Amino acid sequence: MAENGEEKLIAVARHIARSLGHTDNAITDDILQIFSNFDGRFKEKLTGNLSGNDGGPALDQALKTIDRRVSRYLTVDEPIWSSSADASLFLAGVDELIALIREWSAMADEVAVTSCLDRAEDLLQRCMFRLEEEFKMLIVESAGNTVGGGGGAGGHLDSDSDEVEHDGFDEVDVPVAHPVTDYNIRIDALSSGMIEDLHEIAKRMLAAGYGKECSLAYSTCRRDFINESLSRLGFLGSQNSSGEDNDIEIEKWIKAINMAVRVFYPSEQRLCDRIFGYSSATAAAAGDLSFMDTCRVSTMELLNFANGIAMGSRSPERLFKILDVYEAVKDLLPEFEVLFSGHYCSLLKNEAIAVWKKLDESIRGIFVELENLISRDPVKTTVPGGGLHPITRYVMNYLRAACSRPTLEQVFDDNANRSSSSSSLSVQISWIMEVLERNLESKSRAYRDPALSSVFLMNNGRYIVKKVKDDELGVLVGDDWIRKQTSKVRQHHANYQRNSWHKILNSLKLDNSNLSSNVASKSLKDKLKLFNTQFDEICRTQSAWVIFDDQLREELKISVAGTLLPAYRNFLGRFHNLQDIGRYADKYVKFAIEDIEARIDDLFQATAMAGTGRK
Amino acid sequence: MRTDYHGSSSPNITNFGRSILSMKRDPVVHSIDHETHYQDSEIEALQRQVTRRFHELSSVESHELLSVSWISKLLDVFLCCQEEFKAIIFNNKSVLSKQPMEKLISDYFERSVKGLDVCNAIRDGLEQIRQWQKQLEIVLCALDYQKPLGEGQIRRAKKALTDLEIGMLDEKESNTNLAHRNRSFGRYQKDSQRHNSLKHFRSLSWSVSRSWSASKQLQAIGNFFPPKTNEILATNGLAVAVYTMSCVFLFVMWALVAAIPCQDRGLQCHFNIPKSFIWGAPIHSLHERIMDEAKKRERRNTCGLLKEIHGIEKSASFMIELTDSIQFPIREEKEEEVRKQVEEMKIVYEGLKTGLDPLEKQVREAFHRIVKSRTEGLDLIARGNE
Repeated sequence: MAENGEEKLIAVARHIARSLGHTDNAITDDILQIFSNFDGRFKEKLTGNLSGNDGGPALDQALKTIDRRVSRYLTVDEPIWSSSADASLFLAGVDELIALIREWSAMADEVAVTSCLDRAEDLLQRCMFRLEEEFKMLIVESAGNTVGGGGGAGGHLDSDSDEVEHDGFDEVDVPVAHPVTDYNIRIDALSSGMIEDLHEIAKRMLAAGYGKECSLAYSTCRRDFINESLSRLGFLGSQNSSGEDNDIEIEKWIKAINMAVRVFYPSEQRLCDRIFGYSSATAAAAGDLSFMDTCRVSTMELLNFANGIAMGSRSPERLFKILDVYEAVKDLLPEFEVLFSGHYCSLLKNEAIAVWKKLDESIRGIFVELENLISRDPVKTTVPGGGLHPITRYVMNYLRAACSRPTLEQVFDDNANRSSSSSSLSVQISWIMEVLERNLESKSRAYRDPALSSVFLMNNGRYIVKKVKDDELGVLVGDDWIRKQTSKVRQHHANYQRNSWHKILNSLKLDNSNLSSNVASKSLKDKLKLFNTQFDEICRTQSAWVIFDDQLREELKISVAGTLLPAYRNFLGRFHNLQDIGRYADKYVKFAIEDIEARIDDLFQATAMAGTGRK
Repeated sequence: MRTDYHGSSSPNITNFGRSILSMKRDPVVHSIDHETHYQDSEIEALQRQVTRRFHELSSVESHELLSVSWISKLLDVFLCCQEEFKAIIFNNKSVLSKQPMEKLISDYFERSVKGLDVCNAIRDGLEQIRQWQKQLEIVLCALDYQKPLGEGQIRRAKKALTDLEIGMLDEKESNTNLAHRNRSFGRYQKDSQRHNSLKHFRSLSWSVSRSWSASKQLQAIGNFFPPKTNEILATNGLAVAVYTMSCVFLFVMWALVAAIPCQDRGLQCHFNIPKSFIWGAPIHSLHERIMDEAKKRERRNTCGLLKEIHGIEKSASFMIELTDSIQFPIREEKEEEVRKQVEEMKIVYEGLKTGLDPLEKQVREAFHRIVKSRTEGLDLIARGNE
């Protein structure tokens, strides 16, 4: 009974509302409101169950209400966001519209509702269009000043001054004046208020399914801002047509990429996060995409520069510049990982890794090229006097300079981790030394005199050992290697000794057999004559030879003297005992002991420059 | 002896029938007679390679000519030919520093520098196409709708299409007439941000300068002549190799300029390759086909002959027409037409989505290889003079 009565009452209430509402929808709303408030039970019954005949008109009314509220904003010329009150009202209207559409889309199975929905979507599109314009105006306004020139509005870093100006924006982190190499600053490109406005707009555009327009508007503007900021730092892209590494360009690039990855991009990411937010998967994706689009052109351009460096020639002189670039990229890789961790941005992260690998490869390629240069060094031309060969000097100084860069070890060790067949730096250096050694050995064979060959090898071997000891190089090749090399030098020393002085020592050999005094006397005289000639010859020849190392020279002289002098003294003793010599001894003895000593002291006095190249 | 000379390897080098690496291990070359014969076969091999690959390029269907994938193949051909040419140069370095070879090769390297600018401009053009691709995406987003199309979606699509049209128009204007570019900024002050962004895009320091002209670059790149008989003899045939590579380089640069939007896209470029060069035929045929395409009425005012650009233009203009003609409530047949056009547009969009990134990479690669080739070549010449 009671139910029946209730239903009738509700029907009447509705009827009254509708009839009165024919002329003015506002009245219908109000009446329904009054009835609803009269009794809680009515509220549901009156407003609920809007399908069927009531669907179309109800939606229609709601739509008309919203239309009234937003339409005036759609037609006005001045930016809505010049007044935050207007902005709020407009946004509230949009919110309602979106909610309405969402609610009704679920029940869109009849014509009346559908046509209303179409109008709603149409209105929504016009709102979105307006929002897009407002969005663009806001975002361009903040960045526009800086791109156009001058001014610091927007937190842009000028190459003229290292300070960031921040006129009229509150809550911007105030960076102190900083040296160029300190990237530990934070810039906030836009004011909090501006960001909030943009966020509110983006929120609605995303909710309405217009995220793409929003993202495009955003990234087009911010991308230009980034690109312009970077080019003001002096980075001009890969315009190097000469193919030669330009130190200044590399410096500018290092500055630019560090600014980009440590300062600008994080700032942009924060901006994207705040404007697009994480409220939904769509929002997060839009933020990630916008961030990627903002950074893509400049990132690719910066990485392309490094790529160009990696693709240059493998000439060993380039090592140090390539290491500079390699270091810069390697240092930034962790930042790349963090910044570009999103789905859309992964291509940028991967590009950075690819460039890093290319640089790695080119550094290892340089060592291959060095190897080639050494083994191809001509063996036929000799250094006069058996002195130090330029290639020895070049290679050893090069290796010392190279190994003084700690990064180099990282290059080879990184690679060792990845594949077992590639070498660590120690192995690579040892190998280069081996190649050098082989080349030097080939060169030594060009000397006709084997003694000179030994001198040559002694000189170069000694130089190598000296350069390796007490240096990073020594640590890399290891003590064993140094010991081996030192003993090789000693071996060459022994060879020299034997080759040069063997014959002459033979001449001084005394015969202990019992010969008749005449024969013995003649034999000694002949021997002495031979000795004189030989000794003279050796001294003349070998005074033009080079021993560059003072200590080694002394060692050699001492060892020569040590073998020769006793033999000669001995010989002279026997000679003076000859019966038929007497006071004629001086006729035969050309060299006193002191003379021998003096002549030996004169050996190896030529410098590399003065040598006359006797083989 | 390890050699790491070529970096990324090119399979075509082994077409010689003997490995480049083994040749370089023996710096002592064969006797003079053998050398001449050997040089001939190198040069012949290069020409055969060029002939074959350009025949492949020219035997494509008309819908593939000047598409993103075709351009990609063209760049591939260029890079391969360049590697082969480099190998020939390296193998004959003794001839390099003597006249007339030194002048011929130095001039070639000078011309190749002009190609670097072209690569940069092309890269910018690809970026521009990416922007259009984004507008297409919005159109598709608006119209690829399950439910019946309403006025809102149509309007949304139309706005994106209009933006796209304006973007392409701007590109056309700025590319065809240098004078037009010095517009007063005032005209754009009221307009939406897209004009500002275009202007800013042009002002990128790492784009080409405002006065840069693609047609002038092409003219400079094309400033060479078929080798005279005495030149061929004096250089042991190497002049032919230089000429071949010069023609390949010119064609590739010209085709890129023809296809991709860039500043001052003049297509007047003459290929007068003597009939004695067999590879001249496919190049001429391609040139003709591309010029024919350019002369077509519908393509005469395009900003780039790239097939996909045509696709964008066509599907965009169809869609605009279509949407203009719609009256609400939308009739079923009209809606059907729209959906069909959406499918067409999707194909264009998908093609671009997958093709643009790799193409950009190739253009960058070409840039670096041109630099490298030149540096190494000039180095060889200098060493020869020592």
